Amino acid sequence: MGNVSAAESTKSHVDLPSPPLPLPPHAPETTRSLPKGASQLTGSTDVQVVNPGLYEDLHKQTKELFPQVFEGAKVIVAKGLSSHFQISHTIMLSTFTPSVYRFGTTYIGTKQISPTEVFPVLLGDIDSSGNMNANIIHAITDRLRGKLVAQFQPNKCLGHQLSMDYKGDDYTASLTVGNVDPIYLSGLLVGHYLQRITSSLALGAEIMYQRGQQIPGGEIAIMSLAGRWSGNKWQLSANLSPMAGNLHTCFYQRVHEYLQVGVELETSIRMAESTATVAYQIDIPKADVTFRGQLDSNWCIGAVLEKKLAPFPFTLSLSGYANHVKSQYRFGIGMIIG
Amino acid sequence: MADFNQLRAIEDDEDEFNEDESISERLIGLTEMFPETVRKVCSYTGSFLGTATKTGIWLVRNALWIASSSAVILVMPVVFESERAQQQEEHLQQQRQILLGPNAAVSGSSSGNLLPGMNMVPPPPMSQRP
Repeated sequence: MGNVSAAESTKSHVDLPSPPLPLPPHAPETTRSLPKGASQLTGSTDVQVVNPGLYEDLHKQTKELFPQVFEGAKVIVAKGLSSHFQISHTIMLSTFTPSVYRFGTTYIGTKQISPTEVFPVLLGDIDSSGNMNANIIHAITDRLRGKLVAQFQPNKCLGHQLSMDYKGDDYTASLTVGNVDPIYLSGLLVGHYLQRITSSLALGAEIMYQRGQQIPGGEIAIMSLAGRWSGNKWQLSANLSPMAGNLHTCFYQRVHEYLQVGVELETSIRMAESTATVAYQIDIPKADVTFRGQLDSNWCIGAVLEKKLAPFPFTLSLSGYANHVKSQYRFGIGMIIG
Repeated sequence: MADFNQLRAIEDDEDEFNEDESISERLIGLTEMFPETVRKVCSYTGSFLGTATKTGIWLVRNALWIASSSAVILVMPVVFESERAQQQEEHLQQQRQILLGPNAAVSGSSSGNLLPGMNMVPPPPMSQRP
């Protein structure tokens, strides 16, 4: 996902040969129930406590507080056929985006690295109009992870990328190759490195090299720096790219047992725009409710309320979005069954 | 020539009374009795007050609209859910009190979710769901 953000950072002056690849839409729900990254486990081995985590997960703790607003109706039926295999049917009815039926599958393999991480993971997703997303995540060795993401439309391949992550004792290095086209010799190459300096500070760098026909000059390379400083209940992470003139900073704080607050600031000097967003998450465990809200400097607000309806495995989600400047209000209702 | 002068005098007299000025022009002419600075200050103050009132009303109106519509989306659902959960807790507590006597109701439920600091002992794991 760091490649997605890197690719987006070049969008301002470059037309990518293909759009950045989002994860399949149901992946966040399944990956939340799937084992989390190694750095979030506490103390199973020394490697996992000191390792700073993936470069892509730099802002993850703050980003998780942001609500995923949607419009219209969304029904997801998730069913586990066996302990290794899950399928999900999704129907999204909406006025502003075309309505779709999506079928997704998840296969979890048999290689067990730790009690909560099992590999390989195969995720697939296909649309009623033939758009398909496919992910393969595998742990080749204890420390080496590979991930292959591909996106297809009915008649062509929109994009693909392959990334390998190596988790050292106190560093993480990863290499990503995307959209390699041998005919036109175009593609994207991204290298990440994140090193833990002290127990609360981690610094890293990213180098992105892209080659393509739409890029002025044929090729471009951009370097950016990243840092993350964590405390007991807070975390400050920043991503700075002096060459592209981008700054992305996130601050996360756990204010209370039930309240978490995050702030994000994204500045792009090339596009001459800057956006600050405040997000919060309120958990009400007695009512099985999770509420996430966000507040923008563009006068936009959004909120998602998720409520588990207790005796049944249903989750009801209500989403609201308001843009005060344009006076647009969008609401959505979703039901996740299973 | 004397007639002509007399005529002109009469015309001048008439002109003094039938001047082509409307009432507003005459009133504005009255303001000339005040000095320049007083006139300017009054005029600026008046227009400033008018603009300030209009801007103030516009600001208050928009702020109220934005605050209330944002509160509906951001604050209302949380308040509803936490109040509802609190009500259910109290209801259960009452039921327990009725069933087992007043002493049994003391242990357990904490009132409110956002400020549980008062109750240090975690509530016993009562299965509230079938």
